[in-house]
Order: sequence, then structure tokens, then C-alpha cells
Amino acid sequence: MALLARKVCKVLAQAAPKGPVARTFHLGVVYQQDVGVQKESKTKCTLIPGDGVGPELVYSVQEVFKAANVPIEFETFFLSEVNPTLSAPLERVSGSIAKNRVCLKGILATPDHSHTGELQTLNMKLRRSLDLYSNVVHVKSLPGIKSRHQNVDCVIIREQTEGEYSALEHESVKGVVECLKIVTATKSQRIAKFAFDYATRNNRKKVTCVHKANIMKLGDGLFLRSCEEIAKLYPRIQFEKMIVDNCTMQMVSNPRQFDVMVTPNLYGNIVDNLASGLVGGAGVVAGASFSAECVVFEPGARHTYSEAVGKNVANPTAMLLCSVKLLNHVNLRTYAEQIRDAINRVLNDGKVRTKDLGGQSSATDFTKAIIYSLR
Amino acid sequence: MAARYVSKYVRTPQLLLLQLHRGASTMSMFDIQHKTPTVRKVPNIPKAHYGGRHTVTLLPGAGIGPELMGYVKEVFRYAGVPVDFEHVDIDPMSDNNDDLDYAITTIRRNGVALKGNIETRIMEAGVPSRNVAMRNELDLYINVLHCVSYEGVSSRQKDMDIVIVRQNTEGEYAMLEHESVLGVVESMKVITKSNSERVAKYAFEYARRHGRKKVTTVHKANIMKLSDGLFLETARQMAKNYPEIQHNDMIIDNTCMQLVSNPHQFDIILTTNLYGSIVSNVVCGLLGGAGLLAGKNYGDQYAIFEPGTRNTGSSIAGQNVANPIAMLNAAVDMLRHLGHRQHAHVIQSAINKTINQGVHTRDLGGTATSSEVVETVLKNIKQGVH
Repeated sequence: MALLARKVCKVLAQAAPKGPVARTFHLGVVYQQDVGVQKESKTKCTLIPGDGVGPELVYSVQEVFKAANVPIEFETFFLSEVNPTLSAPLERVSGSIAKNRVCLKGILATPDHSHTGELQTLNMKLRRSLDLYSNVVHVKSLPGIKSRHQNVDCVIIREQTEGEYSALEHESVKGVVECLKIVTATKSQRIAKFAFDYATRNNRKKVTCVHKANIMKLGDGLFLRSCEEIAKLYPRIQFEKMIVDNCTMQMVSNPRQFDVMVTPNLYGNIVDNLASGLVGGAGVVAGASFSAECVVFEPGARHTYSEAVGKNVANPTAMLLCSVKLLNHVNLRTYAEQIRDAINRVLNDGKVRTKDLGGQSSATDFTKAIIYSLR
Repeated sequence: MAARYVSKYVRTPQLLLLQLHRGASTMSMFDIQHKTPTVRKVPNIPKAHYGGRHTVTLLPGAGIGPELMGYVKEVFRYAGVPVDFEHVDIDPMSDNNDDLDYAITTIRRNGVALKGNIETRIMEAGVPSRNVAMRNELDLYINVLHCVSYEGVSSRQKDMDIVIVRQNTEGEYAMLEHESVLGVVESMKVITKSNSERVAKYAFEYARRHGRKKVTTVHKANIMKLSDGLFLETARQMAKNYPEIQHNDMIIDNTCMQLVSNPHQFDIILTTNLYGSIVSNVVCGLLGGAGLLAGKNYGDQYAIFEPGTRNTGSSIAGQNVANPIAMLNAAVDMLRHLGHRQHAHVIQSAINKTINQGVHTRDLGGTATSSEVVETVLKNIKQGVH
């Protein structure tokens, strides 16, 4: 596994990271309009392949970008917690993201026990260092994928810097461990406002706050109250609240009732994975993490799929959808459109399908099919 | 005090609740009303800024507003500006203020707005001017108009560079008028020390930050000895804190004469609300009309950007002859405020180049249509980038 990772890493390494320069300036549209006379000025983007099948998925994205001639230059860093010897230092990675402002990232594996005794995982450290407070997962039924529910289209927005993920745990008395769940008004309002602003920008009608304030009256109570307070600023968007256990039940029985959901950290993680399962699994759902300045695009369901490493069976759809979102974000809309159309066409035809969607094709075949249907 | 009365017209129950909830821990209701009478307490809501993109409220307003906004969107899209617009229309004929309330709420949560001129057709006393109500409600107490000559525009005066800093929320615009006796109407002009101080401080700080030499306070204290006297006295007091900046004062009527005969003596003009409105229009006229300059309205929390002279231009709406430059300049100011300096620079130089190339609309004596001007700007953006 480590060997493979090293090999892939070598393949991926393209541009040596340079010293801090002025922040990248996305002027996508201007270049796009006359591709013929375009000059060499590509948008830079940080790339973290991640663990498990991450490098294979990222490779697929790079192939498609190459075929579509997308003017994006990747700055690749191998970041991993399970392979600490290969991993690039966190400061360099976060420095690169802060400079480029966009990043495409695979999933990082998180071991159940820490080697160093540290409670914070690498993922958490990366989020903290860039203040990537908001995770957006867009759960949408894709054409041609058989799943329990059709026409699901909801967005799950999750606070991911506090709550249960505070990394504050201790054993006060032997055999008694306390884990502190931190909820602050500032961060709760910030995520609530993010959710409502997202809803406004994307013409969504409803925001549902997922909580457990009946049990955690103070902690989740604060989160709920912050959401209610912010909701008053958005009189044209419906606001609803739902307890997390009920929410999971509603999600599997009637997911179409949901539009935008805003959740604290742990509930968001659970609901993300649940909802991804509804529309076709970890291989087809795209997500993104936002801070005020940067965006990190990553698959929506956090699964490294390490048992499939090297077998060439992982579904690259999620990563490709992430890259489509990335292109939209840096104003390369026509490329985004082109790739999204190609994905839809391949999925709709249903001739080339990876194993997780009931097909027999390999990941390479799938990538090739997408490249062929690029127009 | 004035602001408090005015706020009665604009109902925002939901925001009041928010304020009370936030204030509860530090200040009682009584304190909020009595210790901060003129400086409105504005809740601190996080700005809409995610992943490097800003959301901005867009209020096209009436007349030529909507077409100008269309041009701004076109230029932004072309230059790949990371700004998303939240479009809010205000119905000029409606006699309730629901649309206005909503617009104000969106500005509160976005922090920044780009706006055309909003018409208030209703002449009833109970409905205030919506432009004024918006400024009062958001406590946008400063209006800044940076008047610079363009080489390519033939105007009466060359090489002008004047900054007009205007108090934007009180004075004659307090909207307190009444008919005490039949046939006798009184209009109250309210000047407060706290607001005069804030605006004077801004003017001197601006001078210091931008390396300007002189601040001229424009007033009519020889007639209105108490009200304008207070404004002038406050400015003089403030000037003592800035020894490196020269301060003088001038009466409004004389100022107007001096502006048209010898405008180069002015650097920064600091003035009250109505005089500011007059002086701005005089200077805009000198430089080439309403279609060029952009104004900025600032409060402690919010900012609104708009064309410098407040006309709707209804008579030329839809004819493709309105000058898009003022609105584009306002958009550039907005980009600078949001911190997108590179985009602002690229668009600004494209605009300047367009004007100096002589691509002018009818109001500047040219023959180009609005869309031709915008196309030239787009072309110049492309050249500027490459």
C-alpha cells in the first residue's frame, strides 16, 4: 500500500510548490472566449490525492482534464495520516491552499488510535488551520443509477470545526472518559447564515435545522436558537427544525421533503453518509468545504475504500463531480458544463458501469467512456 | 434623536428582536434608547463571504437602473469577478414598505449593496423617501464622492481632484415636517454633535490615509448660527487632532461660486447633508454630467455603492443611450471595498481607457450607444489581462 502510494505520488507530482506569491487571480471567462489565442496562464489548484483509492480517482480527474484541455494546473501534495513518512508537512499544504484558494482533495484515512497520542486528526488539523468551517454535500439522484429513491435533491450543510470534534477528551477517573462537545453562538450563527445564504443563492426554498435539543438542551439548544435567530433575517425562506433521530427516519422514508439542511458536526457526518447511501453510495456524491477565503472540494461521503486499492474498480464519479464544481467555482463554466454532460451521458447510457453501480467495467474504462463522450 | 423618529416609518420587528436579544446581556432597553440616541445600534451579522466569493445585494431601482445593472453583470461575468448578486426589486408604486424592508434585511446580511436610484412615487407624508429611509435604517452616515477629471472628456474645468465627504443621515433630511398653523410649515433641520464628530473624523482620517493636504468645511453658520455652528465647531475641534492637515471653512454660496470659477483650491470638502447634495451635483456638472462619477455610502457595518448623482434618468430609459460609466465605477469601488483589488484594477483601467479613447455616450457629446461603450470596456479588459 505504501509502495503503491509512493508510486502514484511520483506520477502525480507535477509542480514543485513555490514560495508564497500573490494570491491567485481567477479570470477564467476571459481566456475561455478565445481558446485559440489563449496565453499560458492557468488557474492553479492544490491537489491532495488522499488515502485508499484517492490517487486512482484523482488520476481519472487529471485524465479527463487533460482530454478536455482544461486550463488548470495542479499543485500536488501527498497528505496522509496513515503514511506519516510520505506525508507532506501540513503547513506547506495549507499554505498552498491559502494561496491558490481552491483545492481538490481525496479522503484521508483516520486511524482509530493515534500513534502520537494526539487527539486531533490530520483532517481536523487541516480544517482548523484554514478555518474550513462549513461542509456542503449536495445529495442528488443521478440519471441511470438505480437506487431506492428517485429525484432526491437536498443539500446538507455541516459545521465541522467544533461540536463533538473538539478533540477534548480526558479520563478524569480511571474507567470514566469525558468528551467535551463545544457549541458556540458565533460559530452556530455563522453556519446558520452560511446555510441561508446558500439557500438564497441557489434559489432553494427551505432550510431544516437538525438538532437534538430535547436532550442536549444547552448545547444543541444554543445551536437551534442561533439558527432561529438567523432565520428571521430571511423572511422568504421557510425554516423548519427536526430532531436528528426523526430526521434519519424521514431521510430514508421520504427524502424528497428536504431541501437545505443545517447540522452540527457529528449529526452532519451521519446524515451525509446516510443520504449518500440513498442515491448510490460513496462513489457518486460530491461535496465541498468552505472557509471565508478558500474552498476544498472533496467527495461527500468519507470513505477511503482501501480494500479496493489497485483493483481498478473504484467509481470516479464523485471526484469528477467535485472537479465540475471546482471548475464552476473558478469561472470555467463551459468546461464544467462539458464534463458534467459527459458524466450524465455515460451514466444514462448505462453501458459502462463500475461495480458499485452493478456493472462490470473498470475505473479506467469508465474514465475512457467519459473522455469519449466529451464534446 | 432624529434617527429614532425616522425609524418608526420603517418597520423591522424581526431585527429589533435580534438587537434586543443581543443587547440584553450588556445593556438594558432603557440604556439602548437613552445612551445611544443618535448612533443606531446595528447588530453585527457575519458577512456573506464564502470560499473567496461575496454575495452582494443588487437594487436596480427605477429608470435606467435595471439596464445599467445588466451591464455591470456582463462586465463582472466577463472578468470572472467572484461576486454573486442577490437581486431585490422595489416596486415604486406600492404604498407599503415590504419590499424596502426586505431590501434592508438583505443588505444587513450581505453587508454590501450596489444600487441604482430608487424612486418614491408616493407623495404622501407618511411614506418617506426610500433612499433616505435606507440610509437612516442602516446608519450609513457618510457619503463620499471622489471627483476626478477624465482627460478624454471635454469639460469646463480640467484636472480636478476633489473628495466630497457629506453627512448622510441628518440635517435637512431628518424628515420632520409639520404644519403647526394652517399655511405655516416647519421643517426641522437636526444637527447632532455625535454625528458631526463621526463624519468630521472620517474626513480627516481619509485625508491622512490618502495623503491629502486640506479639508474645507462648507456651512452656512453665519445664518444658522446654532445648527451649522455646531457642525463647524465640531470640525474645528477635530482639526486640532490632525495638525498636519490644513483646515479652513467656507460658506455654501461662496463655495458654489468658487467651485465653478476656481475649483483647484479644494481638496477635501466636508459638509452637511443638503449642502453636500448641492455641491456634489455642481462638481459632477463641471466634470461632465451625471453619467461618470460614483458615490460611496458608508456606515460602521454596511456600505452601499451607487452612481454619484442621484437621478433615475427615467426619460432615457430603454433607449440604449444612458451612460454606463457611473454604475461601472460604483461597481469598481465596491470591488475595492470587498478586497478584490486586482479585479478592480483591471476593470478600472479598462473604463479609463474607454473614456480616454473617446467612446462616449450622448451626454458626453459622443455618439456611442450604451452597449457600444460596454463592449469597448470588455475589449479593454481582455487587452488589460493579456
